[in-house]
Amino acid sequence: MGSRYLLRRVATACFTIVMIVVLNFVLFRAMPGSPERILLGRMPGVTAEVLAQTRARWGLDKPLFPDQFVAYLNSTAQGDLGFSYAARGRPVTEVLAQHLGPTLLLFGLGEILAIVLGLTLGSYSGWKRGSPVDYVGNAISLILYSMPYFLLGMALLLIFSTGAGWFPTFGMLTAGATYDNPLDVALDLGGHLALPLATVALGLIGQYAILMRSSVVETLSEDYVTTARAMGFRDDRVLRRHALPNAMLPTVTLVAINLGYVVAGAITVEVVFNWPGLGTLTVDALASRDYPVLQGVFLLLSVAVVFANLGADLLYGVLDPRVRT
Amino acid sequence: MTAPAVPADGGPGAVARPAGRKPSVLRQVLARPDGMAGFVILVVFTVLALVPTLLVGPLQTAVTATGPRLAPPSIGYPLGTDELGRSILNLTVHATRVSMVIGFLATIVTVLIGAVLGIMSGFVGGRFDAVTMRIADFFLVIPTFVLAIILTAIIRDVVGTGSTEILGIRLSLITIVIVIGITSWSSTARIIRSQTLSLKERAFVDRARVIGAGGGHIMRRHVLPNVTNLIVANAVLVFAGAILTETTLAFVGLGDPFQPSWGQILDAARQVGAPSLGAWWYFVPAGVCIVLVVFAFTLLGNALDAVLNPKLQARR
Amino acid sequence: MTTPDGVASAAALAVRDRRRWPLPKLADPTAPLLVVEDLAVRFRIPSGTVKAVDGVSFRMDDGEALGIVGESGCGKTTTALSLVHLLPANGTIKSGRVALFGIDLVPKTEQQMARYRWREISLVFQGAMNALNPVRRIRDLIAEPIEVRLGQSQDAARQRAGELLELVGIPAQRGTAYPHELSGGMRQRAMIAIALACDPAIVIGDEPTTALDVMVQAQILQLLERLRRDLGLSLILITHDLSVIAETCDRVMVMYAGRVAEEGPVRRVFMAPRHPYTQKLLSAFPNIRADRRTLEVIPGMPPDLRTPPPGCRFAPRCPAALPVCVEIAPSEVRFADGVRVACHLYPASDVAPVEPQP
Repeated sequence: MGSRYLLRRVATACFTIVMIVVLNFVLFRAMPGSPERILLGRMPGVTAEVLAQTRARWGLDKPLFPDQFVAYLNSTAQGDLGFSYAARGRPVTEVLAQHLGPTLLLFGLGEILAIVLGLTLGSYSGWKRGSPVDYVGNAISLILYSMPYFLLGMALLLIFSTGAGWFPTFGMLTAGATYDNPLDVALDLGGHLALPLATVALGLIGQYAILMRSSVVETLSEDYVTTARAMGFRDDRVLRRHALPNAMLPTVTLVAINLGYVVAGAITVEVVFNWPGLGTLTVDALASRDYPVLQGVFLLLSVAVVFANLGADLLYGVLDPRVRT
Repeated sequence: MTAPAVPADGGPGAVARPAGRKPSVLRQVLARPDGMAGFVILVVFTVLALVPTLLVGPLQTAVTATGPRLAPPSIGYPLGTDELGRSILNLTVHATRVSMVIGFLATIVTVLIGAVLGIMSGFVGGRFDAVTMRIADFFLVIPTFVLAIILTAIIRDVVGTGSTEILGIRLSLITIVIVIGITSWSSTARIIRSQTLSLKERAFVDRARVIGAGGGHIMRRHVLPNVTNLIVANAVLVFAGAILTETTLAFVGLGDPFQPSWGQILDAARQVGAPSLGAWWYFVPAGVCIVLVVFAFTLLGNALDAVLNPKLQARR
Repeated sequence: MTTPDGVASAAALAVRDRRRWPLPKLADPTAPLLVVEDLAVRFRIPSGTVKAVDGVSFRMDDGEALGIVGESGCGKTTTALSLVHLLPANGTIKSGRVALFGIDLVPKTEQQMARYRWREISLVFQGAMNALNPVRRIRDLIAEPIEVRLGQSQDAARQRAGELLELVGIPAQRGTAYPHELSGGMRQRAMIAIALACDPAIVIGDEPTTALDVMVQAQILQLLERLRRDLGLSLILITHDLSVIAETCDRVMVMYAGRVAEEGPVRRVFMAPRHPYTQKLLSAFPNIRADRRTLEVIPGMPPDLRTPPPGCRFAPRCPAALPVCVEIAPSEVRFADGVRVACHLYPASDVAPVEPQP
């Protein structure tokens, strides 16, 4: 792959991260309350000495720029994001780490599921354009697309949990449960995961299916697909080796562009199901105005999205030789 | 096999066409089934938004609520009641006004910022363009929702809440309007910018011929009308997005209980535990409204796009 | 409709002997290469049924180059695509016979068609950007049908791909390039190489030079001519450009609104066009040596093929239209010099039926 393409993408990503950090700093200084209070929160045992130390480390008695900014950069690079108000002075990094796992699980699995199912459904729809399956699939996708994720979650919760009783109503694992073996853990986890996962996946599937379908329809009318058919290849070869590799390209781009938006959805879905991830953390932190945590979440999610975008860009470069020059 | 060439819509000549030669854009849009459906739905909701009190009486509060708590739909309360005894029908209809007005205002702010920056970027070019587009791309990449949450919280805490109202909307919700504008202008700006760029090309050709006509004159007569079409089409989609964003922000707790929007109703429903209690009537009406309005905007946006960009539709 | 000869000429058979691969099992070794009889193709669209091709007949012999010419929408591409059942989903061959080596392809199913696709008849499209799969290398695009349809190994296929590239004037090393890395002319050559991959009997070129500039166009036509000579290739060239036909083809078929207006040896048809439409077509092309004059334009538009007129389809625009032209469709007559015309100006009774020269 052209190293110029790679370099350009990495450079852009780095620049974006820098901008994120700058923005974070601006937010940090814009927050109400004195910076010391923000940094130390309600940590027990704050003496005048600790205050002075903090002030020195963060350069709070020095001018805003460049000293405070540099100090801020330093601390962030070292992983010090301050302390949470609500969590009684626990470091923000620790709080984030604790909530990261469940979100990765829910969101990661959801994306994978959505990509696999969405692309498959979309391709099938596009291949069998005009059939009843196509119309029904399209209609459902459009409706799902218009629905905020959490609404879908609430509906699923109502129907399948409260109504049918198939799934538990909230949380990641049953509170206070003991397990005999890993399989039991997995089953309990799975039961709790099912509905939120379905919500995230369904929301995304609609979008991916619609895009994939129109992409496939457009690809199928290209001359090179007609040529492939003219070569006497079977339909599955034409689809798999000629149409899909081209039709998939816009979808890769969409998945990447979408990531910022999906974060919003994931947050709200977690809230509906009380899933103990970054989403619930964000909303709780918002309610208690726990600014250090909010700021930490923003930093973490933004940087994560940038990296994910970079990954998608690189993947695109592998799939489409035209951008490599 | 080549199809007969579709005469390009647009080009400087198209703008100079006397009014009335082509059916108006509105009529063309309404001729399409998706345009008509979207339009009708939106008219219904606009009516609800304009005169809620006329239809269901004043907004019920905890004080004026008289119904049973969390009761399912009945004759007296067609959509049931909430945990304070207020009629869900009453709440939902009043929330229509709040959601639609916030969406409308947010759209204006977003499109204003986006269009101005987009046109300037496209027209001026150079460093200004580069910097602006960098910033726009930044906002497109980051999860603006989290940023919106933080900004709203900060602004509210700094400015303070009160019962002052602008255009019938409380200050706390105006904050949301501004935050949506700040975080959503990027895609509008990009779209308008690329249209301005392509129009600039054509305008300069004109300029070479029409000696003496100033750049401003050409911008006004040629660029602006063509950009307006695009702005309108874009605004429709921005509106849909604004409603979704406001709903989601309200859902995570940034709504105002004194002036509930659809999202705020959903937040209240969640906090009471409506889904787990089986109180579907609490959140389904507001949910249906949201889906319908967003769906309607999407249909309308589709129809507008088809009418304003016919050459994109013509395939071999 | 006249029935063309049922037997291939000696010259044609000589060309056929130079085939690389055996004839299809069902082939009749003495039959002409391609005989199309009364082909009718319909398209279903929401507002009706378009009778895109309505009674087209022609014959091709081995080693011949046939040009099909006409306005946009006259059915030339549809005719070509229907030979290998490549119509879009809403198109069907309503009736007719397409006899390749005497084998009727019309009733064949998709599976049965596979034997003939690319191995007997292949296609070259306009070299617009997306006529070649943008994410595959050129050499793989050539090698794929060799591997899959001829059952060769990947190495053998790649080897052959290299040979074909050289044959069309592209250095074999460029085979690892992607389509976007090639110029327009090279892309067209690459498409020709792909079309030759299975050593077909007939190559159909659909506007193969239209997207190219004049110099490159000349090179491509030269290439096609050379391949015809050296490989004994038969060509069907579909174009709206009469000069291409004049330069490359032996015979030309002029189509209008889904029917054949005139067909015959190129020199005959171009020097002494009989059908009024052919005359108009030729006069619409400015002659670089003649005096300057106003370009003649054919007024009006082709008929709506959902409801074609009962008589001659060109009648509404024909300067020589007779009253009978509007009511009755003219039948084809064949002249001694090998030209076929469908026009009331040349009624069947006036022409003595003569065996056509090969």
